[in-house]
Amino acid sequence: MSKKKRSKSSTISRRDFVKAAGVAAAGVGTSVAFPLGGGAQERKTLKILQWSHFVPGYDKWFDGEFCTAWGEKNNTEVIVDHISLGEINARAAAEVAAQQGHDLLMFLSPPAAYEDQVIDHGEIYQELEGTWGKPIDLGYKSTYNPKTGKYFAFSDSYVPDPANYRQDLWSQVGFPNGPDSWEDLHKGAKAIKEQFGNPCGVGLSQELDSNMALRGLLWAHGGAVQDEEGAVVINSPGTLEALKYMRKLYEDAQTAEVLTWDPSSNNRGMLAGKLSFACNAISITRTAEKQNPEMSEKIQLAPALMGPVRRIAAEHVMDCYVIWNFADNKAGAKQFLVDYIGDFANAFKASEFYNFPCFPQTVPNMDELIANDPAAKPPDKYKVLGTVLDWATNIGYPGFASAAIDEVFNTFVVPTMFATVARGQATPEEAAATAEKEVKRIFDKWK
Amino acid sequence: MAVVETKDLTKVFTPGERGAVNDVNLLTREGEFMVFLGPSGSGKTTLLRMIAGLEDPTAGEILIGGRVVTHLAPRDRGIAMVFQSYALYPHLSVYKNISFPLRAQGVPKEEHRGKVEWAAGLLGIGELLERKPRELSGGERQRVALARAIVREPTVFLLDEPLSNLDAKLRASAREELTEFHDRVGTTTIYVTHDQIEAMAMGDRIVVLHEGFVRQVGSPREVYDDPADTFVATFLGSPPMNLVDHGDVLVGFRPEHLLPRSLVEGQAVEIGLRVTGIEYLGSERILYALIDRDRFAEQRVVAKLPATYDVGAAGGDAVDFAVAERHLRFFDKTSEKRTGARALEWA
Amino acid sequence: MGLRRDAGRLGAAMFAPALLYIVALVGTPLVLAFLYSVGNVKVGSVGYEFVGLDNFISVLQSPTFRGALLHSFLFTVGAQLIVIISANILALALVDRFRGRGLVRFFILLPWVAPISLGAIGWKWILDSIYSVINWVLVQLHLVEPFDAPMWLGEGALAMLSVIMVHAWRMLPFSTVILLAGLTAIPKDIPEAAAVDGAGFWRTHFQITIPMMTPIINVAVLFGVVFTFTDMTVVYILTRGGPYNSTQVLPSLAFFTGILGGDLAEGAAISVFLVPILVVIAWLMLRLARRAEVV
Repeated sequence: MSKKKRSKSSTISRRDFVKAAGVAAAGVGTSVAFPLGGGAQERKTLKILQWSHFVPGYDKWFDGEFCTAWGEKNNTEVIVDHISLGEINARAAAEVAAQQGHDLLMFLSPPAAYEDQVIDHGEIYQELEGTWGKPIDLGYKSTYNPKTGKYFAFSDSYVPDPANYRQDLWSQVGFPNGPDSWEDLHKGAKAIKEQFGNPCGVGLSQELDSNMALRGLLWAHGGAVQDEEGAVVINSPGTLEALKYMRKLYEDAQTAEVLTWDPSSNNRGMLAGKLSFACNAISITRTAEKQNPEMSEKIQLAPALMGPVRRIAAEHVMDCYVIWNFADNKAGAKQFLVDYIGDFANAFKASEFYNFPCFPQTVPNMDELIANDPAAKPPDKYKVLGTVLDWATNIGYPGFASAAIDEVFNTFVVPTMFATVARGQATPEEAAATAEKEVKRIFDKWK
Repeated sequence: MAVVETKDLTKVFTPGERGAVNDVNLLTREGEFMVFLGPSGSGKTTLLRMIAGLEDPTAGEILIGGRVVTHLAPRDRGIAMVFQSYALYPHLSVYKNISFPLRAQGVPKEEHRGKVEWAAGLLGIGELLERKPRELSGGERQRVALARAIVREPTVFLLDEPLSNLDAKLRASAREELTEFHDRVGTTTIYVTHDQIEAMAMGDRIVVLHEGFVRQVGSPREVYDDPADTFVATFLGSPPMNLVDHGDVLVGFRPEHLLPRSLVEGQAVEIGLRVTGIEYLGSERILYALIDRDRFAEQRVVAKLPATYDVGAAGGDAVDFAVAERHLRFFDKTSEKRTGARALEWA
Repeated sequence: MGLRRDAGRLGAAMFAPALLYIVALVGTPLVLAFLYSVGNVKVGSVGYEFVGLDNFISVLQSPTFRGALLHSFLFTVGAQLIVIISANILALALVDRFRGRGLVRFFILLPWVAPISLGAIGWKWILDSIYSVINWVLVQLHLVEPFDAPMWLGEGALAMLSVIMVHAWRMLPFSTVILLAGLTAIPKDIPEAAAVDGAGFWRTHFQITIPMMTPIINVAVLFGVVFTFTDMTVVYILTRGGPYNSTQVLPSLAFFTGILGGDLAEGAAISVFLVPILVVIAWLMLRLARRAEVV
């Protein structure tokens, strides 16, 4: 399943060549050891590991254009290894265990657990501040540990998690612009299911999309896993409201399929014309544009849904680069990130608006770009993402991302809590109490 | 008690090839001990397995007690069988081995103990009931197998070389026991063996089989003294019957009837021999020789002499031997079947 | 003398790769897992501190863990029960000669030969919420409504049944081959003797054949239990432990907690939690096998 691609900015590794030549020449004499050298500096290497981007064009731009140009300018051979998103954590754990690996490794969620193994990325932020200003709060809270005062990662970008709805269906039940609030969602989705049979697709499964969507639902109702100080507050009236809402939505407008999902299931469900609504990155609409133009016209985007307390959604993916303490080329890695932010306008375009900047000044004309997408129908389909910073937040909201939050995320405590209530396996009170027990236990471990 | 009858019974394993059993017609007598005798590959075991119902006949019929059982399952034939390996159930105690047929045939449980003890007592293994088969000697296993066969009082016993896994000494006493056992229970028994001594010692009648055909059916004396063909003549007896080429017939005589001239009384045929070798076998001597005269010269013959008689001859010596005329048997050279006596122009 | 010493050295050299393999790929991870489980190792931590049984005490507090423990047993016992019964039937069917037996044996072996991840992905699609072929057929036969088809992986009991069935599908060839070997090893005389003694098919099978195969069935079950208890592939690919953790088993939970969640020590504690259970099972099975040994 893993797609592994290795691209090199220059086809022959000079460093390897020199090494080999040196070995061969050892018996002959040192004078021929650097036949091509001529006093030139030795060429460096920068090894990067990141996911195979959802948008293939992005990897093409990143590997083929940006890295090649950067490598030439900095006399460095840039090697980019791509792996599938599910393998990143295991790979990172392996590199730490071996104390060697890549100079830059990109996580798709805040890697707080690795804080002791990485450099303080604060200096990268500092260096960028003069040119591009401070990063957005989302980036800051996803990479900073207030207890230690250390930046355990550097976040270049994030992926918004808007609402996707079938305009043709929703306009027939009185919501031509899709649902604006969770209440709208219940009302409209229920009507659609009753009239047309199409269920609503808020995931309740042990996977990324459900994890994200349900956090949005939780926060919108005033619940949260932790507070600003990192205390466990999951068993709250707000949480109970969110759970009651989910039970209602599930019973009136969903089917058990939401319990079976993997991260690509809601994409498939929308593209197959089955679902009336899903929370996801813009991968659904982008795929539709390429594979199913007819469906592409029907699927429109809406900002995060308004809840009784606030309008909010989690970022869908958080790009977090880390530089290991044991990295060979730390200086190169830092410089690479600084220069990458400098060219982020191109990255934004190459990712087809998938990756949004953590330094908004890098894409000054963003509103204009997203209002005129050549592939989108209508061309301003992605315009709603312009308000993303008003409603997107980090996983640990309202606190910081942390190792404990990460374990809660990866052991699917929140989806499980919602799913047991939706299926009537537990009352909201029981489910919240169970989740609290589990979350407290996890938080205690990471103190 | 019942008789077993086969009608044109045939078994062909590979179509197009010679059958393992061909057109066998047999009829046992009530309570008879019948032995199927033949070398390996003669079809005797296949024939027995067809009677047991373990092998489906290609053609022909089997009747047990007058009832056609050709296509019935073994369990519906009222037979019991003892296998060459005894086929005891290794995970069951002797008691459970013996009572298994009772259980399988739905005999009420409260009758089991009595019957098992009766069968075990009959075979003298009453002490072994709690043991597992692996804790028994070969002879004990054989008795357990017999007890298991007899316990439900079958109408016919089938025994497939039950003594071949015993050592020679044990085999002799087991033979005697088996005969005695048969005399006591009187059940019709079919016994398969390749051992002619067993066949001769135990059988009421012997069925000699060769290549799937019945060559002769008769009492031990009949098949030994009056073999129906050259196969039977040479298969039975150790050493086998001498066969001497004589025009369009073969002349047969048993080695024990080829004696020094002086010992043969009455009408006799004289045969001059040149001895090529002598084996001393304790109670008897085997003389290997070539016929030393005219047109029978150089034909090999074997003589068996009692140890009490001192031949005095050694290798290379020419001696005068003779066979009483009543001991001569004649076989047609082409059909190899027995044919009428005729005058010999011996000298 | 010299020759013998050379032979000894050669023997050591020939044996070394196997030893290296076992130490490197089996021994080290196992020792590490035990060390981790009584330490405070996190995925990004430096250093090691002994914490005794804290990790075990911690996981025992977790409702998810207790659920996973129960599911592990359910998963293992369920899958093995199906496997042993089916393997018995298959072995019986395959022991007799018939036309095309080789081909049938080959097909039955396929699930074992193919990588399990591949097979599990195939099953994931067969049981998919949208593209399930089973549901397609049911809909075509008008047995279920298109929007109301069973969600094989979406309902607690159904999902458990599904992972059990898929795992059984995968383990079946292995057990069948073992039982077939056991069946072939029984002398032909014995079932024949039973037939003559009056036993029918079932009696022969249950009172003679199966008891005689007990040692080898034990081996098949032992391997199957160990394989199933320690396997997370099917669960991970089909349900990732869902819905709401109702198919979560210990190995998958260990992976989520230790690797994805970052708490290596607790992940290790969850995974070595199985070891005493497996040791007891193995010991019991081997004892049973020895007692049932025949001839």
